[in-house]
Formats: sequence, C-alpha cells, structure tokens
Amino acid sequence: MADSSGFEPKIVAFLCNWCSYAGADLAGISRMQYPPNVRVLRVPCSGRVDPFFILQALQQGADGVLISGCHPGDCHYLTGNYVARRRFAVLNDLLQFCGLEPGRVTFTWVSASEGERFAQLVREVTDRVRKLGPNRKLKKE
Amino acid sequence: MDKVARLRQRAKELLEKQEVVGVLGYRASSRPGISQVAFITKTEEVDRLIFDATCSQNLANYLLKVKDKGKVAVVARGCDSRSIVVLLQEKQIERGQVYILGVGCEGVIVQGEKSVSCRSCQYPNPVIYDEMLGEEVHFEPEKVEDEFDRLTPDERWQILSAEVARCIRCYACRQVCPNCYCPVCFVDASMPALVGKTHNVSDNMVFHIMRALHMAGRCVECGACHRACPMGIDLMRFNRQVAKIVRERFGLVAGAKPDEMPALTVFKPEDPQEFIR
Repeated sequence: MADSSGFEPKIVAFLCNWCSYAGADLAGISRMQYPPNVRVLRVPCSGRVDPFFILQALQQGADGVLISGCHPGDCHYLTGNYVARRRFAVLNDLLQFCGLEPGRVTFTWVSASEGERFAQLVREVTDRVRKLGPNRKLKKE
Repeated sequence: MDKVARLRQRAKELLEKQEVVGVLGYRASSRPGISQVAFITKTEEVDRLIFDATCSQNLANYLLKVKDKGKVAVVARGCDSRSIVVLLQEKQIERGQVYILGVGCEGVIVQGEKSVSCRSCQYPNPVIYDEMLGEEVHFEPEKVEDEFDRLTPDERWQILSAEVARCIRCYACRQVCPNCYCPVCFVDASMPALVGKTHNVSDNMVFHIMRALHMAGRCVECGACHRACPMGIDLMRFNRQVAKIVRERFGLVAGAKPDEMPALTVFKPEDPQEFIR
C-alpha cells in the first residue's frame, strides 16, 4: 500500500447519519475492501458540517478530508444538504484561492444503497491524497 | 446649496421636529485628513457635521450601537446603505428605526490616495434612502486586474501566508465591520474553542479564511477592515474573492437589492455542484 517514502495519509471523513454513514456501513457488512486510511465521524446531516470542522481537521494533522451527505433531494431534513452545498461551494473555492491543493478536501454525495460507490470513493480519495503527499500548509506545527 | 449645507439644514429640521433622536454622521477631528464619527443630538451642534473624502468609517456599524436610543438619521453612501440593507435583511434593525440621508460618494481618500476598495466601487450612490442630499455621483470604476488567479497553488499559498503571518490578531477588522455583530464572535468562543488564539500562520490563516467565509454574500466591500488594519494586510483580497465567488456562482451581490436574501441563507435546487464528486 505505502509508496516508497512510506507515507500513508490520514483522512477524516464526515458522513451524514442518514445516507453516507449507512452507505459506509453497507460497504462494511458487504465485506467490500477499501483502504483503512479513513477515520469516520458521524454527523446528523451534511448541513451540520461547520467549515471549522474541516479546517480544524487539517490543522490537527489530517492529510485529507472527505465530506459526504445525501444526494440533493434526499435529505432527511429536506434542505440540509442544499444549504450545505452553497457553503461548501464557497469554502472549496476559497481554499483553492488560498493555495490549498485541489483534492485535499473532497465533497461527495453517497446514498445508503451505494456501498460500492463509497468503497470506490475511499480508494480514489486515498490515492489522490497519497499522491499529494503530507498536508504541510494548514497543519499546526 | 451644497451637500454639507443641506445635511446640516436637514439634520436641524429633523431634530427640531423630533422625528429622530439623533443624527449619525461625521465631524472634523484634530488630525488633518481623518474625520471622526459624530452622533449629534442637539440642534446647536448640527454645524459640526461634515461630509467629504476623509469620512472613511462605515456608519452602519455605529448605527448598531445607537439603534436602541430611538429613531436615528444616518448619512449613507453606497456602501453604507448596502450594509444597512444587509442589517435589515438579517433583522438587526427595522426600516422604521432609521432615516437614511443618502449621499453620493466619490471615494475615500486615505493618506493622499483613493482607498483601494473605492477605486473599483460599483455603488457610489445609496441603494436605499429616505432622501438624497445633492446629486447622484457617476464615475467609471477602475478595473482591478488580478494576476493572482493565474499563479500555482503553492505560489498563492506563499504570498498569502506571508501576508497573514503579519497579522497580530488585534481584531480591528472585526470591530469596524458593520456586518460583524455576533454577541460571541467565533474567535472569542472558548467552549468549544473554534480557532486558536496564537498568531502562527496556521491559526492566522484559519482566522482569515473563516472571517471571509462569514462575510460570504454579506460583505459589501466597503474596505473598512482594510483601512483599520494596523499591519496593512490586504484583507480586501479575501473579501473581494468571496464576493466574486458569490457573484459568479449564485449571481448575487451583497446588499444590492433589499428583497434578495444574503446568498448563504438561501439555496436553489439547481445550484452548480461541479465541485462535488
């Protein structure tokens, strides 16, 4: 798994309770293989993910952050992910503007039935962050 | 009759008729080139009121501090009036509480130069007012060419982190901002402590990113924070960027239209989501 330098990324994943967490659970009970680099944090809704959570994860040493919620239209609270989407859009653009590498922070929609999609996403995200290397920019020394 | 004479006359009339409890405006200070904020409550003091290019403060901020005294008249340029619109949208003040004396603005002069935010100003005239003092102002805004977008992420990070490394976390930018009014600011929150209080690059950068994010769809680009910064940090770089993101993504301009809500408080099902994988 590790590349020649032996770098293994730490990825913090914020998963919404109603879709993405259930999707990850399905990947688990279906015994799908995916890299063990993600640390999952369950949140009630993607709308609960304060941009602070993402920045703080990066400050405290995460190499990548994954935020996942229900597909638009499927939110348990009806509009949580729509409101979150605007917030994430601005955050994402602002992080790129500040010079954070594209791909450090990933936003996705995963439904409860998409176990395979979740496993695939974790593989992709882990690969991408591994190529980017350790997070040195926002990390607090 | 020029603007200032008209302002003094109207201030006097409003106070005499007791339509307002005070007039929020500017007066000269003992230092040349800098004016002071004035809250005039007595008719004999109206002759202190001035309005010129040294009037750099955004009065919407001071409006929040005197709004409990009763109905207040306030002098408002384009940016001030847009700040007032945001405060109205966010229910911090009521329309009936303020009497807006609109005034056209040709830009603020700071240390002999036109303030950065004023050079590209698109709104020199107030968007809402109860009456206009003098004529509307028209001038061609300068185009701000930003080379910054064309740099690589690493180059951008280097420039910005060197810039925010100078931040001493005095929070003057927050204090002068008309749209920063939370009783407990995120930088002061201790349970949980959302942002570190030290001034290392990581904490400073997070502070500035979060400050900009909080202003997304609300910042009217008046430049008050930029002028208040004792370290001369180009804070407008962040603010201009969020305003641009909001404009390009959602087609909204903060405070430009009283019936449009701030961008991040509403949504559309068809909002762009190309950044979501």
